[in-house]
Amino acid sequence: MKATEIDWDRFAEIIEKHAQKKWGLIPLLQEVQERFGYIPPETIGAVAEALDLYPSHVQGVITFYAGFSTEPRGKCVLKVCRGTACHVKGGKSILRVIKRDLDLEEGETSPDYQFTLETAACLGACFLAPAMMVDREYYGKLNPTKVTSVIGEYRKPEGDE
Amino acid sequence: MESISLTINGTRLSCPQGQSILQAAEAHDIKIPTLCYHHSLKPFGACRLCLVEDEKSGRIFASCVTPAASEMVIHTHSPQVIAHRRTIVSLMMAEHPESCIVCNKGNRCHLRMIAAELGIGDNALYPMPNFAALEQANPYITRDLSKCILCGKCIRADHELVCAGAIDYNSRGFNSRPVTLYELPLEKSSCTFCGTCVSICPTGALSAKMQFVGTPEKESTSICGFCGVGCSLELGVAGDKIVDVNPSHLKNSVNDATLCVRGHFAHDFLNSKKRLTQPLIRTEEDLTPTTWDEALETAAQRMLEIKERYGPDSIAFLGSSKCTNEENYLFQKIARTIFQTNHVDNGGYMSGRLFLDLVDKRTDGAGRFNFFAGPFSGLEQAEVVFVVGAEPSQAVPVFDYYLKRSARKGIPLILANHRKIDLAGPGSIWIHPQGTPPAAGRTADTFYLELINLISALLLDKEAFDTSFVSRFTSGFERYQEELLSLSREDCLDKADLDAQTIALAVDLLAGKKITFVVGDGLMLHRYGKETMDALLNLALMTGSIGYKGAGFHIVSKENNLVGAWDMGAVPDALPGRLKVARSEDRARWEKAWGVKIPESRGMDLLEMIKSAENGRLKALYIMGENPLRSLPQPDLLLNALKSLKCLIVQDILFSETAGIADVVLPAAAFSEKAGSFTNMEGKIQCFSPAVPPPGLGKPDLEILTLFAEKLAAPGNTGSHQQIRKEISSVITSYSNGAACKHPIWIREKAQPEDSQAEEHIRFSPVATSAETEADGRYPFTAFFRSLRFHLGSGTRTEQSSRITAGEEQGEIEVAPADAEKMSLADNDRIRVTSAAGKIERNIRINPKVEDGHIYIPTAFEANGARLLLRLEPFFENDSGGWSSCAVAIDKAETMTMDR
Ligand code: SF4
Ligand code: SF4
Ligand code: SF4
Ligand code: FES
Ligand code: FES
Repeated sequence: MKATEIDWDRFAEIIEKHAQKKWGLIPLLQEVQERFGYIPPETIGAVAEALDLYPSHVQGVITFYAGFSTEPRGKCVLKVCRGTACHVKGGKSILRVIKRDLDLEEGETSPDYQFTLETAACLGACFLAPAMMVDREYYGKLNPTKVTSVIGEYRKPEGDE
Repeated sequence: MESISLTINGTRLSCPQGQSILQAAEAHDIKIPTLCYHHSLKPFGACRLCLVEDEKSGRIFASCVTPAASEMVIHTHSPQVIAHRRTIVSLMMAEHPESCIVCNKGNRCHLRMIAAELGIGDNALYPMPNFAALEQANPYITRDLSKCILCGKCIRADHELVCAGAIDYNSRGFNSRPVTLYELPLEKSSCTFCGTCVSICPTGALSAKMQFVGTPEKESTSICGFCGVGCSLELGVAGDKIVDVNPSHLKNSVNDATLCVRGHFAHDFLNSKKRLTQPLIRTEEDLTPTTWDEALETAAQRMLEIKERYGPDSIAFLGSSKCTNEENYLFQKIARTIFQTNHVDNGGYMSGRLFLDLVDKRTDGAGRFNFFAGPFSGLEQAEVVFVVGAEPSQAVPVFDYYLKRSARKGIPLILANHRKIDLAGPGSIWIHPQGTPPAAGRTADTFYLELINLISALLLDKEAFDTSFVSRFTSGFERYQEELLSLSREDCLDKADLDAQTIALAVDLLAGKKITFVVGDGLMLHRYGKETMDALLNLALMTGSIGYKGAGFHIVSKENNLVGAWDMGAVPDALPGRLKVARSEDRARWEKAWGVKIPESRGMDLLEMIKSAENGRLKALYIMGENPLRSLPQPDLLLNALKSLKCLIVQDILFSETAGIADVVLPAAAFSEKAGSFTNMEGKIQCFSPAVPPPGLGKPDLEILTLFAEKLAAPGNTGSHQQIRKEISSVITSYSNGAACKHPIWIREKAQPEDSQAEEHIRFSPVATSAETEADGRYPFTAFFRSLRFHLGSGTRTEQSSRITAGEEQGEIEVAPADAEKMSLADNDRIRVTSAAGKIERNIRINPKVEDGHIYIPTAFEANGARLLLRLEPFFENDSGGWSSCAVAIDKAETMTMDR
């Protein structure tokens, strides 16, 4: 999913569904995020117009929520916990391993748009510490080997696409 | 509303249910410190400085967002509250950079004031300043967001008051900052540089860019010198100069906490090097300094001689829609009583005075019936707003905020304009010509008139008229009905190139409603402006949109005292109070007051004066506060006409083009240097006092006129502004409560005419239609003249502001993308625009908002060059083509790179 390829038809469908609805902004943005993998910044104007909001306000909402991103993200989003419980259980070295494995820093996306690496303040799964999430899936009681194998599961199979 | 009782700091008080604790306290003069609260903004509860303690529960809460409850016992300064407040401010200071001493906000910084009050200096907290890049590429506003305390006032003001939506918070937590869309600099956003956020920001995060550094010594309340909105200002004074302008703190002002870019930044002209500081007199070819005595003596002698020799018809007076009521009154009185002439006009000729006349004509003068919509606040009760040929966001920005706010509240809006203006939103209908050839080239002339006719006819078809109003208050409805019935709807659609569906929508929306009309520049200088205005007045009568809350006409007036100059009789056909010169009862009223006979026939208007000078009949002209050489078309013709006068007296604040050719130049005081009153476009009379003295030997216009009258040995024509005001109010009923103005600033609605309830019958006027014109193949484009918010009128004053002239806008001509492509033009390419009257060259800017075949030329820029394309002929006469647009040809000019 690349920044340049916005499917405006698909976008228009989403807009139409939510246009002129009160409280429609968050559901609309969620749908865009889900379908496009991110919220293309150039769509902000159209979103604002459809809901009669100021574009600056729409941008404010997008940048407020961690769940929205204005940059294309990878197919798989890894959220590594840096919360206290995970930290105590060695979360820091888990993050290090992942960074090395994926060759990514926090907030970055791999050039093939397969992975995005993020961190979270607490995933709410402290009993599984150290923990991480890949998309909506939780992975707990991590160690370097487990991490590497989890990542392996999400790697693009050779010859795909 | 029910009221509740509570105790604050031991005082028992009551307040209406629903008020916050803070409001209740403020109403009883109990001060609670705040940083994020503002009485005009929705409470936000961000800064927590307004904490108070409830004795009963021991709880502490933010008073700005907590409703007062019955029997609360509140302490605003208990030890616990103070301790919390100190912590909060200490935390803010820890995040604040240490540049207080050189901060532009200076002593007006609320954070600094509050820190000082709480005794917080250096604190023990680890400093964690939030560095942000300084943004100051634009000439108006510096943003140093490292000083931002996230009170959100700028954002709320930008959204709730001025409705620009230029900024909002992004991100969250420590990184959160008010930013524009895509975090671009302000000049690349929807920011209008109104400066409202700057004035409301409690810290130095947002500040006005000034040449002056420091804090003004004192503040003085005044009224804006530019447009007819009449905003109240707080002028910051240092020494004898105005160095800063902010919205006044008055709670009942028109503008509340807002201003526009002109009001905020263009008052730089007050300190311009071009200010006149001494009287000048022509000796041979040059203007040389002289004394007041000699200048006035010469002026008086020459005028008297000319009157003696050539008679009263050889003398004319041009008053000013920028001068005060008192000045215009005295000016026309001198003309009428001493010189026995009705040849009086004012600069409002070019900005809507004739429209006011049309309204008046329907009611036989004296405004016996009120067509005007009155206070802007009435828009909140409007049923539907119909904006015709106006771009309020440019002409009268603060009025535009009212329109935008009412639109956001869901009041339906219909816009008729060639261009999609920024009032257009999801709830509005925009009516415009479709651009289908061959009609496209002609719609500039036909659009408005045919549209209004069509709408009226369709409303009639729907029987959507107010029968009881029509029968009680009007006459001639049957004939009007017949005329509309026989009007061909197809012709209208066709001539104006309209989309039938859009019109049907608009008619549905208008049917059965009282209409609030907003009529603007696009129509006022239009070749069919007069006919269209008549059609609109008919429409208003038919729908009964008069004398009804919020309904009626808002006539956009670009000049601050357009209405006042008109009310004061600085016009050829009416005496003060809009009493008609031609009517003997009206004349008698003033003859009695002044004790002299007044000539019976109407005088010459501005253009007739020029014609008469050209013919050698007019010998002397006294101009007060106008610069026709810059504002009127065909300046060479005008120059010749003015040069052929035997005596030209120019009284002004700047050494203008017109002053440059005068025989006697009298240096006057600007509004900030004198006392007086202006009447704004709502009809509010607003008085003001001087903030600083005039520069050099300059004098207030009223004083100059008084001295002039003394030289004429006509002692009845003198007086302070209070005396003049008294004289005015003794005869003009609508100004009758103006005399008692004692306060430095004073705002009063014009009194209703005594007999406004009288059962007068207002006539419907005949339905007029536009003539078929052949498009002239030589001039395939239509040029529309557009006055941008950065300038006022011809730009004589606004051009003196280096901040305004350094802005993004340099007067570029706007061209439609398709036309640009056809002619292979890119941004900043230079084009030549040719009309039947003249040609100009300018750079272009491609703008998708422009329809194909149209170009927009900003007025005021480049010595108001746009007018060179027009003819110096009364634009109301139909073969003149009007002054709002003209047919032109465009071609690419030799590129000349313009370095800014
Ligand atoms: S200057 Fe006016 S338009 Fe610009 S951000 Fe501030 S309030 Fe908004
Ligand atoms: S810039 Fe000023 S007004 Fe805006 S949030 Fe920051 S401190 Fe408040
Ligand atoms: S809207 Fe008009 S009166 Fe108000 S600040 Fe702007 S120019 Fe001045
Ligand atoms: S600290 Fe990691 S899941 Fe809570
Ligand atoms: S003033 Fe109440 S929280 Fe800021």
